Amino acid sequence: MPKTTTLIRTETDISTQPPWNVIVHDDPVNLMAYVTYVLMKIFSYNEKYATQLMLQVHQQGLSIVWSGELEKAEFYVQQLQLHQLKTSLEAAE
Amino acid sequence: MKIAPTLEGGLRIDPETPDDWHILRAIVLDANGHETDLATRLGGMVTDERVAEDWQDFVVPDLRESFADDLNQIQAAIETAAAFANDGESPIWIKHEDALPWYSALNQARLALEEKYAFGPDPESDPSNLQPVRNEALLRSQFYCALQSFLLRHAL
Repeated sequence: MPKTTTLIRTETDISTQPPWNVIVHDDPVNLMAYVTYVLMKIFSYNEKYATQLMLQVHQQGLSIVWSGELEKAEFYVQQLQLHQLKTSLEAAE
Repeated sequence: MKIAPTLEGGLRIDPETPDDWHILRAIVLDANGHETDLATRLGGMVTDERVAEDWQDFVVPDLRESFADDLNQIQAAIETAAAFANDGESPIWIKHEDALPWYSALNQARLALEEKYAFGPDPESDPSNLQPVRNEALLRSQFYCALQSFLLRHAL
């Protein structure tokens, strides 16, 4: 009877894709409380963090509200645009 | 016009004069009043060439359809109530589950007016300095904003 051996090979797959940033831009129409509400609804952020991001949008003109893989980033941008927030999608440098 | 929260977590709007019905009907007209629709304007924010084409082909049409659905829904609510206005009291009821389409329609109207007239974050404090058409647009925008604030506070 031939001897058999089992080889175990472990491979590590590390994605080299850069993360993508979901960016909300300031505009003179969307109410501050609404922006906070939308960020809480879409990302399940708590009120404190959502308010912090909203204030960043308001005071600095934009805020990176989420970073990560492209597919999820696209979903979030679509959701934010459905709520009429000016939102862009950019590859992080 | 009277606007009041309901015990069920919605709003009740009571138009009292023809002008009240006029401004409510203007929501949809204002929302559609920009030569480039909102979906296209928002879709134009995604410019990275790796995603922009798919965005235009797949996401923008969805946005357009969703925004149009919201406008159709509130137009139907307004016209249904208006049909009974001659019989006396004819309130418009905004249930909790309808609050987001209402907010969306009002926002579409305000975004279109802002694109057209560029009021900015601090519109002129003295309306008499404004041209009549611009002044009326500003007043409508401010009414829509007030109604949005009610929705945020009581219905969303």
